[in-house]
Amino acid sequence: MSIRDRAWFPIIYMFVITLLLSAVLILFGSATRQRVKNNERIAYERAVIQSLPIDLPARLSTSQIHQIYITNVYDTTEASAGALRYIKHDTLVGYALPIQGPGFWAPIKGVIGIAADGKTITGVSFYEQNETPGLGGEITKMEFREQFVGKQISQSGMPVQFRAATDPLDENSVHAITGATQTSNRLSRFLNEQLAIWRERITARQ
Amino acid sequence: MIAQKKTGDVILTAVWGDNPVFRQILGICSALAVTNLVLNTIVMGTAVMFTTALSGLTVSLLRKWTPRIIRMMVEVLVIAFYVILFDRALKAYWPDMSRNLGPYVGLIITNCIIMGRAEAFANANPPGLSFVDGFFSGLGYALILLCVAVIRELLGMGTLLGIPIPFFSSALWDRWIIMVMPPGAFFTLAVIVWLARTVQRSKQVTSGGNK
Repeated sequence: MSIRDRAWFPIIYMFVITLLLSAVLILFGSATRQRVKNNERIAYERAVIQSLPIDLPARLSTSQIHQIYITNVYDTTEASAGALRYIKHDTLVGYALPIQGPGFWAPIKGVIGIAADGKTITGVSFYEQNETPGLGGEITKMEFREQFVGKQISQSGMPVQFRAATDPLDENSVHAITGATQTSNRLSRFLNEQLAIWRERITARQ
Repeated sequence: MIAQKKTGDVILTAVWGDNPVFRQILGICSALAVTNLVLNTIVMGTAVMFTTALSGLTVSLLRKWTPRIIRMMVEVLVIAFYVILFDRALKAYWPDMSRNLGPYVGLIITNCIIMGRAEAFANANPPGLSFVDGFFSGLGYALILLCVAVIRELLGMGTLLGIPIPFFSSALWDRWIIMVMPPGAFFTLAVIVWLARTVQRSKQVTSGGNK
């Protein structure tokens, strides 16, 4: 009776194969762990500096992003009400408020930049989203994001209104994405909710 | 297997005669999900080729030792191993693409093409030939996905690989938004399957037909 005909052979065989393959995966996983963590961190830092009024070159290397981030961006304090602070020559120039909420397919995470006056938006950027490419995915594109620059957070009601592409805009509103109503509505909901909370907290401090 | 298969025949069968997508209608889920941008599709196709080729090779190498009763467990394990390897490599070295593809790379594990090749071919054929079969089955799949993606991105967004294409990106072309949405994939795929089968059939008729 050869070893392969024994009743226990399939169990041992499966065990050995699993052990070998898992060992390789665990090794590869731990070898790249730091790298993956850095990638996530850099995506976040890039979104933060993109939301702030900082002149950025078109192509940014990972180390440049990190360098710009650590020289300009400071942690949140009581007074900044949960937003990161952008400090230049020892003066507070702006805030970067991380926001997140449900998208159409998966959570959307981003950052909204606000000038030191607590009212003027300096930019919006997203570092995590899984919306339909070409539709909801357009929230990551320049055309959508740059609309926010210079808009005022209205001091009562909805901070920023999302309007249909055919409607005229004022200083508190931006155009939603045509064909991506769900993404626009959900983004508008959580962005405004979180911005309204921040607006209350920051005006209470000022 | 009665006689040794010829490598050329294996390639032709894998890519055309028995093409996984339009002949066997396998792996449709991802064919629909990731084909609205050409670049995403290329990476997805590469991931499938990588997995079918190497899992074919591995399953074939183990085939004389693997007990028949647990062979499917072993096949799934081997497939999952290569998929996770690819997914992790993307996460570490191409994070933007990894974010674009989201969960779809991981879902390659359940792609029936790969399991199908392991069961139908690699189990009974030598490693080299299994590698070739897996690679070209993956390629046959990737090529169809690419056709779908080119049509969808061009009609839906007016671009290819993100580069605006004259006419399609101009105001003359009203972008077909439905093409980048899931239904666009169904329409496109159906038309491609129809065309490919029509061509195959007309060839069989002119050559006397073997069916």
